[in-house]
Amino acid sequence: MQHTLRQVFRSGKFIVGFSILMTILLIVIIYPWVVRHPPLQIIGQGTFFPPGIYVNVYDAIHAPTLYTLNLEDAAANRIGNKLRQEDRVAMKEWLVAFGVPEDEIDIDDTEKLLALWEANYNPDLRLPGMTFARHRYFQRVNASIDGLLSTEPAIIAAPNSETGALEQKALIRQTDYANVDEVANVRILALGTDNFGRDVLTQLVAATAVSLVIGLVAGLIATTIGLTLGLLAGYIGGLVDDVLMFFTNLFTVIPTFVLLILISFSIGQDKRGAITIAMVIGFTSWVWTARAVRSQVLSLRNRDHVNLSKLSGHSVPRIILVDILPYIASYVVMAFILQVSSGILAEAGLSILGLGPRTTETPTLGLMMNWAMIYQAHILGKWWAYLPVLVTIALVSFSMNLMNTGLDQVFNPALRD
Amino acid sequence: MKGYTKYFLNKLGWFAITFVFAFILNFTLPRLMPGDPVAAIVARQAQGISNPTGVQAIYQQYTELFGTDKPIIEQFFIYVRNVFRGDFGFSFSQYPRTVAEVISASIGWTLILQFPAIIVGWILGNVLGAMAAYLRGGFDKVLMPSALFLSSFPAFGMAVILLVIFAVHLKWFPTSGGYGYTLIPSLTPTFLWSAFVHYQLPFWSIVLIAIGGQAIGMRSMSIYELNADYVKFARFMGIKDDKIVAYVFRNAMLPQVTGLALALGTMVGGALIAEIVFSYPGLGTTLLNGVMGQDYPLISAATLIITFMVLTANFILEILYGVIDPRIKAAQSD
Amino acid sequence: MLEVRDLSTKYVTRYKEDVYAVDRVSLKIEEGKTLGIAGESGCGKSTLALSLMGYYFPPLHYISGEIIIDGQNITGMKPDEVRKSILGKEIAYIPQAAMNALNPTRKVIDFIGDVIRAHDPTWTKQMIYDHARALFERLGLPAEVLQKYPVELSGGMKQRTVIAVAVTLTPKVLIADEPSSALDVTSQKMVIKMLRDMMESGFIKAMIFITHELPLLYNVADDIMVMYAGQIVERGTAKQTVFDPLHPYSKGLMGSILVPESGLRSAKLTAIPGAPPNLKNPPPGCRFADRCKYVKPECRVTSVPLYEVGHGRAYRCILPEEELRRAYEHGE
Ligand SMILES: Nc1ncnc2c1ncn2[C@@H]1O[C@H](COP(=O)(O)OP(=O)(O)OP(=O)(O)O)[C@@H](O)[C@H]1O
Ligand code: SF4
Ligand SMILES: [Mg+2]
Repeated sequence: MQHTLRQVFRSGKFIVGFSILMTILLIVIIYPWVVRHPPLQIIGQGTFFPPGIYVNVYDAIHAPTLYTLNLEDAAANRIGNKLRQEDRVAMKEWLVAFGVPEDEIDIDDTEKLLALWEANYNPDLRLPGMTFARHRYFQRVNASIDGLLSTEPAIIAAPNSETGALEQKALIRQTDYANVDEVANVRILALGTDNFGRDVLTQLVAATAVSLVIGLVAGLIATTIGLTLGLLAGYIGGLVDDVLMFFTNLFTVIPTFVLLILISFSIGQDKRGAITIAMVIGFTSWVWTARAVRSQVLSLRNRDHVNLSKLSGHSVPRIILVDILPYIASYVVMAFILQVSSGILAEAGLSILGLGPRTTETPTLGLMMNWAMIYQAHILGKWWAYLPVLVTIALVSFSMNLMNTGLDQVFNPALRD
Repeated sequence: MKGYTKYFLNKLGWFAITFVFAFILNFTLPRLMPGDPVAAIVARQAQGISNPTGVQAIYQQYTELFGTDKPIIEQFFIYVRNVFRGDFGFSFSQYPRTVAEVISASIGWTLILQFPAIIVGWILGNVLGAMAAYLRGGFDKVLMPSALFLSSFPAFGMAVILLVIFAVHLKWFPTSGGYGYTLIPSLTPTFLWSAFVHYQLPFWSIVLIAIGGQAIGMRSMSIYELNADYVKFARFMGIKDDKIVAYVFRNAMLPQVTGLALALGTMVGGALIAEIVFSYPGLGTTLLNGVMGQDYPLISAATLIITFMVLTANFILEILYGVIDPRIKAAQSD
Repeated sequence: MLEVRDLSTKYVTRYKEDVYAVDRVSLKIEEGKTLGIAGESGCGKSTLALSLMGYYFPPLHYISGEIIIDGQNITGMKPDEVRKSILGKEIAYIPQAAMNALNPTRKVIDFIGDVIRAHDPTWTKQMIYDHARALFERLGLPAEVLQKYPVELSGGMKQRTVIAVAVTLTPKVLIADEPSSALDVTSQKMVIKMLRDMMESGFIKAMIFITHELPLLYNVADDIMVMYAGQIVERGTAKQTVFDPLHPYSKGLMGSILVPESGLRSAKLTAIPGAPPNLKNPPPGCRFADRCKYVKPECRVTSVPLYEVGHGRAYRCILPEEELRRAYEHGE
């Protein structure tokens, strides 16, 4: 036993797979201790906020201290943020089309460019040959560069509670800085928000945990059923074997996911919890384990040590437990790992079909994928809503497959070289 | 030929049994759930929706057609009769189209997409797996982990990735549908070209998924065969290496045919979901629409047709296997 | 007929470790003689058999030594030359576990055709069939077997078919690696009879017979070689090696089987306590030292040579013949 374990942990593939899986598990366990936000809370008003650090503007303005920093490139950054190189080129294009001589325009001289623009641009004028979208684009550029070169401070005003007149409360200069640590509300959305305005990362961690549990439950059920049937069919043989194998063969060819669809659909949206789905998956995916266990048991049944045990009058359960199970343990473990990972994939597939667990309480990897697809995150370029989910699914499944391949090579040495 | 005929009849019998069993499951599973969900769905459908007269009509028609007010055994025989007539009733969600219409509009797309893709994936996977086993070294070291990674990827994941890269970013291919939405299916060059372009991404995402698993299987089979005793004996009898390699790969490939038959169900399942990602007008998308519209008759019919397709493909593969593996004929004749 | 001088070969594992499975083995077989090889599992019997073919492919590698078959030195020959003119024609090998030695998807006759054409592509189908038929008749096998697939043959028939295929090209030397181990008693007898008939009728000129079953070896072989950890530890006539073993290992080996009547048939070579050394880095001195009752400090210092004691007899032990015999008499 110890020797086997040592051998297993010397297999490179197994170690890599195991480490990936353990890392994911650790994150899933530790993250909720560190970040205590409810995973399904809707925080964003709007869809798909990009990943980043969100600083509360109100609090930033009212930070206890505002610091003055004289940074050389501050003005340039400010302009660059609103007026990108392609905007400058576009402005030149507009001006030339409008009739300004090309050699008068220097797009690198911001001041001059803006002055020219100021003097000539007319937002209501749609130049001939320009598409409407392009026209709108120039209007947007025009709005965003309004007051770009101003060095005036911004005024914070609040209405007087009695007269209702605006009163100046504070001046915010261009050299004013707030220290993020002193801003009362800062929220890191490392993976932005989803279509409902929920924190993707927090949700992803919770979903991974649920999906792992689904896989585990499905795998346990499938392995238990498969192991029991395989042992019975293989050891008892005869009629029991014939009947069991008949059903196993039936369920091998009838596509499992069709059964999954029918059952999940019939259960109905309201009754479909994560565990229900896991059970349904488990009850429809035992065939492979049953087949594998049976063929192993068949080859073991007539080995000397089993015969000896039979001759000594040991009971069937004892023979199975002592003389058979230990020899097929490695196969069962491998089958279990496979079942877990395919259970996770099955849940994802079902959810994409709209047949996953009901959506309100628990996130799962499949449901996150489902939402992202329905809201077209992939087409809109909102990668943070689907890519991390895909990567997680692939990593979980990959790590388990790697572990399995590693085990396979330890137990079937022929595959090694 | 006698041996083969026996094998053929055996497989045909098995095909019939599995189909009958699948048929019964298809009928009973939804009705076995607590509270008769079929009735519940039909009832739900009959209420909630804005056009009460139309829905009432479907409900009546459905009750009559499937005899939902009769005992379950009787319902079953009514169902059998209807199915053999090709009559699955009206679709709840796409009324006044019948289920048969909806399915026949989508089944062709699925057949044309999935079976070629699975076969191409199978062939490529086997070639790569055999090469990895024979060449070993660097090729194997690169191929194996990639194949493993590919096969760990869910089918829809591959579909999404291909879609984002080639349709959204590179804009080489359209993002969705089976043909340009301005076109009407016909045999014109424009339409065929459009269908061809729309075909590529769904096709390759299914191929890629299939490759991984098949390559891994073929590699193990080939390594197993390369180490077999007959290889050693043939070598020491002076038979040339290329001949031995031919023995080995032929023998390794044979179980892969049965392997394909067994994996077919799972593969088709994944491929149906890949269809959804591309809104490909096949059975997968139809299923999704059925689920969204709580369209029980449509789902029931679609799953039945899919099962039938998979079982048939399985049967064909078994028959083919009997032809290409000489041992089958031999083993059956005594 | 066959002479081997100081042959050494090794396996290279995928971790690039060397396993020295055959270490400086020399042997000689006269025409008409059968040489038996005994030794416990893993001592290198099969590897020696493979090495004798003079045709190496990974993981097995040639290190040094010479193989001379019927006066022809094959060690310097190109691999493809060996394949074409030696394998199957001069020397043939029946692998251990011959149950699976035939390609399961090829008819026996087709495989025979492949073997013949690998050496002479000009043979037609008809010629091959006639040849195979005559061969099978001569060896007492039914000709229908030719048209069958290996799965259709019973275990004993399969084994005899493999032997027939191995001698298709009438090799001079036949190496049989445990040809009867996996068979039932009746089939075993038939296989042994077949091999004996081939030797007696001069169909093959010399045979090497490898087995675990010493009583069988005593019946079949003229001379016996005992191997231990890749080396020959004793060589002599069958009678000498079985009834008057010199090397302590041989003594243990033979002692373990010559006890009670019932044990005779089934005793395997496992009765000596302890395990053989790892062949990745064998100990410098006597390889049997860890398990030897008579071990002396000097046994472990330098490698022990094979001492010739006349009439082809030899053993690998630092103790003199008489001392060993005396020890055995008192000890047992
Ligand atoms: N392919 C291989 N790669 C590395 N080492 C090997 C290989 N095949 C055999 N060996 C090693 O070489 C040694 C000799 O093996 P060999 O098969 O020749 O023994 P044997 O005497 O024929 O045993 P048995 O009675 O079990 O057939 C053993 O230690 C074995 O572990
Ligand atoms: S050399 Fe020494 S250890 Fe080896 S067999 Fe002889 S007495 Fe025993
Ligand atoms: Mg051996």
